[in-house]
Amino acid sequence: MAEEARNWVKADREHRRIGGISPELADRCYTCGTCSGGCPATGLVPGWDARKAIRAIVFGMEQEVIDSKWPWVCTLCGRCQYQCPMGIQLMKTFRACRTARERDKVPGPIHKGTMMNLERGNNLGIPTDDFRFLLADLGVEMENDEEQPTPGFYVPVDKEGANIIVTVNSKEPFGEPDDMKFWWRIFYAAKEDWTVSSTNWEGVNWGLFSGDDESMKKQVARVIENARRLKCKTILYPE
Amino acid sequence: MDLLEEYIKAGRIKLNTHRYHETFTVHDPCNYVRKSQMAFGDHMGEKSRWIAQQCFGEGLYREMCDDPMNNLCCGAGGGAWAMPYDQERLDYGRMKADQIRDTGAEIVVAPCHNCRDQIMKGLGGQFKKNVPGFDMGNYGETLYLWELVANCLDYEPWSEEEQAQARAARDEQFERDGVELEEE
Repeated sequence: MAEEARNWVKADREHRRIGGISPELADRCYTCGTCSGGCPATGLVPGWDARKAIRAIVFGMEQEVIDSKWPWVCTLCGRCQYQCPMGIQLMKTFRACRTARERDKVPGPIHKGTMMNLERGNNLGIPTDDFRFLLADLGVEMENDEEQPTPGFYVPVDKEGANIIVTVNSKEPFGEPDDMKFWWRIFYAAKEDWTVSSTNWEGVNWGLFSGDDESMKKQVARVIENARRLKCKTILYPE
Repeated sequence: MDLLEEYIKAGRIKLNTHRYHETFTVHDPCNYVRKSQMAFGDHMGEKSRWIAQQCFGEGLYREMCDDPMNNLCCGAGGGAWAMPYDQERLDYGRMKADQIRDTGAEIVVAPCHNCRDQIMKGLGGQFKKNVPGFDMGNYGETLYLWELVANCLDYEPWSEEEQAQARAARDEQFERDGVELEEE
């Protein structure tokens, strides 16, 4: 590297940090373009792609990356990180850029949903009683289904000592309740001993996507807490 | 996915190949291939294909990519399905739409809630509206992996005794929770 160029590089392993993770690697970048060349998001955000974002961070322009749409249009699919010949943790770095965004500037509902989750136990704020009634009704519906009846079926809620405890993706009770029956039918056929918690059952962790580590951990802890409270052996995120 | 495989291998569920006669392909959710590999040193690419293949007759499978680890994101990952950048999300998915077209498959099996929504409602929606850039060829429908399995189950109804036990447990639970059902 020419002496002059060396002076531009602000990322070194000791000093440059994005959410506490970048220094380990961005300065290794060869600018080969493997990341952006193989990335379906290249060209979607004018002025940005994976390689440029990493280079910007190396040159001390991380705030521009954080303020840009790039870390949010990138789907954190991990292809660049998996293929990077220098082992740069691009996916981790872009998620750290999300973390560094002010919370009221997180796009879309993923931050609000996370707050809703911490307050009411699921991203969409579905009340426990509504959830219980919905599961009960769907259970009866499924028992008497014309094509595939499952006599004796019901949804075991808060059942102690079950083998498996499942989480629920809140979009299903909210908008596509019948889709929950696929797994239920499999449990019926396998005669599984399973249950679902009446509270904190959310299986979608938006804190992971919004870059909010603390909320993400809280949500994971709740799922584990449910399993402990109900003495279940296995946690299943049914997807 | 581990659980489905376990049920099938242990004979706890039986699957038939009568229901679907279409050609099919399997999409790889990033979480199950690359991220699982990076986090746990194991990926699910072969497992998902094996499970799906138990539900179709031989010769109907169409491969989507050279290596599951190198498959493309559907375009809605990382929360993008919920984010306000719809045009970017759809443009991102064009490469997935091309992949699906090139397989020639009629059914796409998606082992992830989010990927299914993007392929079925996002990309499939554009395709069915004939939006240029979203030609998905023979594509007809998207199924969750577990939806496919549930639709292909061969099972017996529980015995009278099992049913009676389950109803007693159910009534106990409803009483505890104050759930009253309308007359069946």
